[in-house]
Amino acid sequence: MLYLFDGTENGFFTAFLQAFSDTDAHLSSGEAQLLLGQAPIAVSTDDSKAEKAKKRLLSFDSDCLRDLRILRRCGASDNEQIAFAYMRKLANEKRAVRDMLADEAVFQAVSYMRKVRLEIHHLHGFIRFMETESGALYAPVSPDHDICDLLLPHFCARFPSLPFVIHDVKRKKAAVYDGKNRYLLPLDKADVTLSCNEQAWQALWKKYYSAVNIPSRQRIKQMIGYMPRRYWAFMPEKNGSDTENPDET
Amino acid sequence: MFDFLLLSGYNRIMITQEKLTILTESAKYDVSCSSSGSKRKNSGGMGNGYAAGCCHSFTPDGRCISLLKILLSNDCVYDCKYCPNRVSADVKRVTATPEEICELTMDFYKRNYIEGLFLSSAVCKNPDYTMERLLLVVKKLRTEYRFHGYIHLKGIPKADERLNKEAAKYADRMSYNMELPSERSLKLLAPQKSKQSLLLPMKTLTAERTNFLQEKKKGLVKGYFLPAGQTTQMIVGASPEADGQILRLSQALYRNMELKRVYYSSYVPVVRAPLLPNAQAGALREHRLYQADWLLRFYGFTVEELIEEGENLSVDYDPKCAWALKNLHLFPVEINRASLEELLRVPGIGARNAQKILQARRFSTLRFEDLQKMRVALKRAKHFITCDGKFYGVKNESAVQGLLTAAEWSENAVQTDFFALLPDDTQNGQRLLLSNRQSAIAALTGEL
Ligand code: SF4
Repeated sequence: MLYLFDGTENGFFTAFLQAFSDTDAHLSSGEAQLLLGQAPIAVSTDDSKAEKAKKRLLSFDSDCLRDLRILRRCGASDNEQIAFAYMRKLANEKRAVRDMLADEAVFQAVSYMRKVRLEIHHLHGFIRFMETESGALYAPVSPDHDICDLLLPHFCARFPSLPFVIHDVKRKKAAVYDGKNRYLLPLDKADVTLSCNEQAWQALWKKYYSAVNIPSRQRIKQMIGYMPRRYWAFMPEKNGSDTENPDET
Repeated sequence: MFDFLLLSGYNRIMITQEKLTILTESAKYDVSCSSSGSKRKNSGGMGNGYAAGCCHSFTPDGRCISLLKILLSNDCVYDCKYCPNRVSADVKRVTATPEEICELTMDFYKRNYIEGLFLSSAVCKNPDYTMERLLLVVKKLRTEYRFHGYIHLKGIPKADERLNKEAAKYADRMSYNMELPSERSLKLLAPQKSKQSLLLPMKTLTAERTNFLQEKKKGLVKGYFLPAGQTTQMIVGASPEADGQILRLSQALYRNMELKRVYYSSYVPVVRAPLLPNAQAGALREHRLYQADWLLRFYGFTVEELIEEGENLSVDYDPKCAWALKNLHLFPVEINRASLEELLRVPGIGARNAQKILQARRFSTLRFEDLQKMRVALKRAKHFITCDGKFYGVKNESAVQGLLTAAEWSENAVQTDFFALLPDDTQNGQRLLLSNRQSAIAALTGEL
C-alpha cells in the first residue's frame, strides 16, 4: 500500500504509525509512482500521535531524529521509503541500529546519509561566491540533495560579518545570512549586479588554476572522480573550459 | 570593514596576471596542499580553520587545490641544480609586495576559491632578509587584515631562529623540505643546503611547540604556535636513494621530529643538467611510497617489516600485500574474532572496512554474504580471511600471487590518491580511527 503524506516531519510519523504493520508499505510525500490498480492512502497529519511516536523512538536512540532529518534531505526519490524502513527497524529492535550494517534497510539508510553528508562536504569546497555591488556574496548551486541551508553554519562561522546568499537554483530557494540572522526563502531568479572587480578576480583565479597544474602529469579521470562534473557549472575555473576530454586518459 | 583598502585603492594592489603566473609556476612542485589540522577560530575579521581540511578544486593533473600556493619572490641567490629559479638560470625575476599577497589571499578566500595561503620564497639576498619578508606578510595578514584562514609557511633554511619562532605564532603550519634523502645528494644538487640546515629549525620548532602547548594548558600563554605542526617533502627519483633509505628517514622524522606528514614528489625534470635524470620518475613508485608511509603511521608497521630483502618496495604488489604474502603463516584470520590490528593487516581491508566489520559483528556473526552486502571489497581479502570458519579464497600460494596481481590492477583503478583528502579516503585510514572524532579527522587527512 502507498501512504502519501504532506512532507512534514509529523506527517512522516503519522504515516509511519499507519504503515507500521503493513509489510508492503510504501511511504512518499512527493509524486510517487502509482502502481496499477492501487489507490494510495492519504495520510492526514496527527501532531499529537506523531509527537508520541517521536518520543518513543528517541528513547531507543537519542540521535535518531538527526539521522531522519539528514535522510529526508536526500534527493533520491525513494528516500522517504528508506527512512521509513530504517525507523521501523529501530522500533522493532528497540535500540540504536545504525551499526547493523549487515541489515539491508540500515545499510541503505546509512549510505543515503553518507551521500548527503558527502555533498555538504563537497560543497563546502566547491561553492563559488561572487561579490555583488553591495559587497554581499552570492553563490548559485544546484545540489543533488536539498541542503542549501545546511551549508549556512560553515560559512557563517567563516564570514561572520559578511552577508551572503546561497541560491539553490534547482529547488528555487535560497539560504540567506544578513550578517546577523539566517533565513531560508523561496527564490526563483536572483537579480545580481556584480562588483566592478569581480570579473578581474575571476580572471586571476583562472590564471592561477592553469598555472598551478602540471601538464606532464595529466590525470583527468582522477580530477573528475574527486570533483564531479555536475559541480562545474558554477566554478569559474571549469565552466566554459570544457576542453579536457575525459576519455583522454 | 577594511577602511585602509579604500584609501589605498582596491585595484592598485591587485597582482598582475603575469606576476601571479610566474610566482605560481615556481611554487607548484611543492606537493603539500593540505589545509588540515588547524581549528583556528574566527575572532572578528575573516576566516577560520577547518580541522579536516578542504579541497576547493582539482587540476587536470588530479591534484587538489586547497591553498593558494605561491612564492613571494623567485629572485634567488642559491643554485639548486634542479630548480628553474636558481641563480645561474636566465629567467624573469619578480617579487610580489606583501599587500599584493594579502589582497590576493583575502579576495580568493572570500570567493571560496581557497582555504588559505601556502607561502614560500626563493632566497632573496640572504636567508634572514627573506624570512623577514615572509614574516611581514603573515603578520600583516593576521593582524591588519584579520585573516584567520589557514597559513602554511615554508621556512628558509639558515634564517635566524628568532624569525622562525616569530613566524610560528602566525602560521598554522611550517615546513622545511628535505628535498633529497641524503647528505650526499644534497651536496651534489643543492650545494647551499645541508641536512643540518634543514633539520635544525625543524627540531627547534618542535621543541618550542611542545613547550608552548604545555604552557597553554596551564593557562600561561594564549594564541597559537603552529597548530597544524610541521611537514616536509622529498623528491623521489632525482637521486639514487632506494625506497628503504627514504622510508627509514621518514620513520625517523615521524618518531623524532613529530612531523605530521612526509610528502613524496616524483621528480619532474624542469631543468636539464648533467647531474640530473632526464626522465620523469614513475607515478607508481611515488604511490608505493605513500602506501608504505601510511602503513608506518597508522597501521603499526615498521620499515623493517615492509622492506626485508632488497632495498625497494615491490612493484607488483602494494606493500601490505607484499608483506602478507611473505607472512602467509599468519593467515587466514577469522573476521568475527580478529582484533582491529589484525584486520588492518589483511590486504584489501582498510580502516573504513575494518571499522564496518567491528560495528556489524557486535550484532550478529558475519558470513561472507554479509560482507558483500556491506560492500567490503573482498577480491583480495578473501584469500586471507575466514568468515564464520569458512574460507572462500584460493589455498595454493602461487595461485594467490597471480590472482592478487590481477586484483591489484583492477582495484587500483578506483583507488584513492593521497593528494585528495575527501572523506572516502578513510578507506586507507588509520589505526586509531575508532576511538573519537579527533582521530577520525586524522584518518581523513592522513596526518598524525
Ligand atoms: S633555494 Fe634552491 S630550490 Fe629554492 S628557489 Fe633557490 S634555487 Fe630554487
